[in-house]
Amino acid sequence: MAQRIEAYEQEMAHVRGSAAWAGVVLLAGSLSLLPWLLPGYQVYVLNFVGVNIIIAMGLNFLVGYTGQISLGHAGFVAVGAYAAAHFVHAAQAWPLIVRLGGPFVWALLAGGAAAALCGLLVGIPAIRLEGPYLVIVTLGFGLAVQQVLINWPAVSGGRIGLFLPAPRIGPFALESDRSLYYLVWSTGALLAWIAFNLSRSHVGRAFIAVRDSDIAASVMGVNLRRIKTLAFAVSAFYAGVAGALLAYVMQYLEPTMFGLYESIYYLSMIVVGGLGTVPGAIFGAALLTWLQYGLPQARQYLPVVYGAVVMLVMALEPMGLYGRWLKVKRWLKSWPL
Amino acid sequence: MRREVRNRVVWLLAVALAAFAAAPAAAQERGITPSEIVLGTSAPLSGPAAAWGATARGIAAYLEYINEQGGIHGRTLRFIILDDAYQPPRAVQNVRQLVEREGVFALVGMIGSANAAATADYIFRNEVVWMTPAVEQEQWIGNPNIEYLFVTYPNYYHEARILTRYAVETLGKRRIAVLYQNDQYGDSGRRGVLDELAALGLTPAAMVSYELTDADLTVHVLRLGQAQADAVILYATPAHGAMAARALAQLNPRPQILSSFTLADPVMAVLAGEAWNGVIVPAYFPYPGTDEKVDQVLQIILERNPDLASMAFNALAGVSFVEPLLEGLRRAGPDVTKESFRDAMETIQDWDGELLRGISFGPGRRQGLNRIFLSQMMDGVPHRLTDWIEYPVEY
Amino acid sequence: MFFWQLVVSGLSIGSLYALVGLGVVLLYRTSRVLNFAHGDLSMVSAMTAYTLITGAGVTFAGAAALTLLAAFAVGALFYFLVLRPVKDATLLGQIVTTAGFALVLGGLAVIVWGADTKAMPFPLSRFVWYDVAGLRIDQLTLGSFVVACAAMFLLYLLVQRTKFGLAMRAVSQNDAAAKVLGIPVRRVLAVTWGASAALGAVGGLLLAPVTFVSPAMMFEPFLKGFAAAVLGGLDSLPGVVIGGLALGVLENLFAGYVSTAFKSTVAFVAILAVLLVRPEGLLGRKVVRRV
Repeated sequence: MAQRIEAYEQEMAHVRGSAAWAGVVLLAGSLSLLPWLLPGYQVYVLNFVGVNIIIAMGLNFLVGYTGQISLGHAGFVAVGAYAAAHFVHAAQAWPLIVRLGGPFVWALLAGGAAAALCGLLVGIPAIRLEGPYLVIVTLGFGLAVQQVLINWPAVSGGRIGLFLPAPRIGPFALESDRSLYYLVWSTGALLAWIAFNLSRSHVGRAFIAVRDSDIAASVMGVNLRRIKTLAFAVSAFYAGVAGALLAYVMQYLEPTMFGLYESIYYLSMIVVGGLGTVPGAIFGAALLTWLQYGLPQARQYLPVVYGAVVMLVMALEPMGLYGRWLKVKRWLKSWPL
Repeated sequence: MRREVRNRVVWLLAVALAAFAAAPAAAQERGITPSEIVLGTSAPLSGPAAAWGATARGIAAYLEYINEQGGIHGRTLRFIILDDAYQPPRAVQNVRQLVEREGVFALVGMIGSANAAATADYIFRNEVVWMTPAVEQEQWIGNPNIEYLFVTYPNYYHEARILTRYAVETLGKRRIAVLYQNDQYGDSGRRGVLDELAALGLTPAAMVSYELTDADLTVHVLRLGQAQADAVILYATPAHGAMAARALAQLNPRPQILSSFTLADPVMAVLAGEAWNGVIVPAYFPYPGTDEKVDQVLQIILERNPDLASMAFNALAGVSFVEPLLEGLRRAGPDVTKESFRDAMETIQDWDGELLRGISFGPGRRQGLNRIFLSQMMDGVPHRLTDWIEYPVEY
Repeated sequence: MFFWQLVVSGLSIGSLYALVGLGVVLLYRTSRVLNFAHGDLSMVSAMTAYTLITGAGVTFAGAAALTLLAAFAVGALFYFLVLRPVKDATLLGQIVTTAGFALVLGGLAVIVWGADTKAMPFPLSRFVWYDVAGLRIDQLTLGSFVVACAAMFLLYLLVQRTKFGLAMRAVSQNDAAAKVLGIPVRRVLAVTWGASAALGAVGGLLLAPVTFVSPAMMFEPFLKGFAAAVLGGLDSLPGVVIGGLALGVLENLFAGYVSTAFKSTVAFVAILAVLLVRPEGLLGRKVVRRV
């Protein structure tokens, strides 16, 4: 039964009607209960899913909404992760901060900010470049970040990598999978809320306008330079926060975790999930991360399975899994005729 | 409206039920039941380091043989291999799954210093027995948590020092250069060369690194030639080692190559051809073709997994990781717990296995191996140059 | 002397980068598709040739010919089976699809051929060298350069001097108009894909003695070839040749005189510098969009 839409706010709302709100509440409730129902190592996987969801949402702003391609996103994640790790190490020297409440919120922000700064820098050449040329520049950026980390022991922690202490709230250390889960997923929920609202704000509309026709958009008054760099900065911010969370989840960082394959995985997540939609990014990240970590012994076949899944989804449903879900919903709504 | 709410509740309940179904089973001593002992490993079965996954497969083949012989004290050994594609996050997840879901008694091996560093904390905290992670060993020195860790793997740093000392003192070389992979393995080699040269009052002629992804090492070798190196210490993968050897063969004068034991693999003679003649390589157990027991082991694993023939060296190395575990289980007797296993391991003194020779553990000693010997390769055949050369026991 | 030695080896490896890049550019010019599976297709070709030579005892020439034919077929097949359904996808969608295909090929290679490194029996030897003007040039380096140039020249003849090449250029400029004029666009595209895959096979065969045969052998050469293509301009065939050679020499000079650790990074930084000044690449055509 369709809702009667009577006001502009209603049409723009993401959640419509009491059924949808009930659904959202139930979803939040079940997500909160999940770590109590599942064994520790699976909660660990869910933490990775959460981190990748955040990355995917950010990447979606850049690629899905603004139409810029980034094949070096792992570089932003790396910047965020290492920035946060060093921030934490530096803050350890100030016992007042440690006792008061742990620097982890600030660490997340530090990671996000550092990555956003890099995003701005990468966004500058992006103004002039398009399509495959932008791909090469972002590819080069990702590779360069990894290369610099490998060759800069002061930053990357040298021979065995960089270790982090657990995040703390006051006297409590968030060491267990469960507490990390809440950290990751509450941050993710907040960022998702921001993403949903950003997508329907004038900034989001500007992003889409640039993607669909940048000349028309600039004619209409959209400042191309500002919007493109903003898109890079926002998506890099998300990646940076996710990198910081990744640092906390693993409590260990090593440059090989942020290579070209990871960048390709992030891209495939949003494309498979459904480009240009926030739920699509979430779906794609959840499914493909679970695919990477959740399959049992047959994992040596993972590259084949992963690649096949990606190809199949692209061939059968160019709009991604979320697009297919929307089609299914629409079909269900109109049945029986 | 109501139907939508109800559908969501049903869906969520289904998820919850599925979650319960995934709960693990409990065991008294983790990994030990009256009929079997559960072992596991996280290894690169796919991705760029997949050739090292042969170590895990070698272990699996050898354990098959042990089971056919009746197992150990009536228990069969079950070995679970999970693929980590050489990535730390997946290695951590594998280890957690092995411990929490499969309930392994011991982990055997691991490839990649990053993987070991990422998982070590968890493994030690959960008091999981860990046999020979095949990584650089600085991280164990001075580590108070290694009670259940037992290592019978050569030390890259000390090996490099031995090679350097041999080049200078026995071969009379003066301009020593090191070509190394830009990671923990290669860096250990570099430091070993540097420190030994300093102790001998020399400096390296050149220190050139390469990246794992480099497809061509011509430039790197040209730099070595420019530095007029007369000996090159090589810390590389088989592919890169062969590339380097072939380029080095073109230099005039041609430097002497001394390489890490990871390139003792007979495939080097195939890859590098005549460029590999004269290369000096250490080993920590006898080569196949020079020792009956080693040949027997090789035959055993090839019978059970013929695909290992092209990666026989790595497969044998894998067997060397698991050998001491089997001996420890034998000595611990039928009523084995991790404490009794640890005590049994500590009784191992100057022990010879099928592959390993002269292994010793003890209270406070977890480094089982402290010696290597050097051979020179000619047409793919090793010619032994030295007796066992010892290096310090550090943990 | 050191300098010239670096230049010579840079030209040789650069010609191989150019060869790889040519496959990418050929495809992009005609069908606007960036094929991220190009490297893995070359790797599978090299593996196939290896199996033919060592497993079935075929001569090198025979194995090379068979491999080229097989690569051509696989390329055309990939076009029909995978690309045409995804034809309307954006550039990003194509990248992801072809990257997925690359993952599948790489994973299958590990399963079918094993992950170990293999030596390709090759008619040219690295141990036979010629001392020319004080430089030492081995047979393999020289031979790779010559064969790569020959392949590029043949491609040039195909594209610029044959009727089919004319059809390819027509399709690349405006495929709708080409269709209207009676050019069999699907056939041209299938042949282009096949030719690109065959070029990749030649690249793989020439790189096999340099990097040895393993599932990851083309990772870096593909990236460099792709970079060379972008440097030269993605719709210019002579551009990628110049880009590849320049890239090889630049990398070698940097690694020889400064540091081997940042060899690849410098390549990408150089490309970025060029693109900032000329966003369409060295020899690319400036993109003029009609509004």
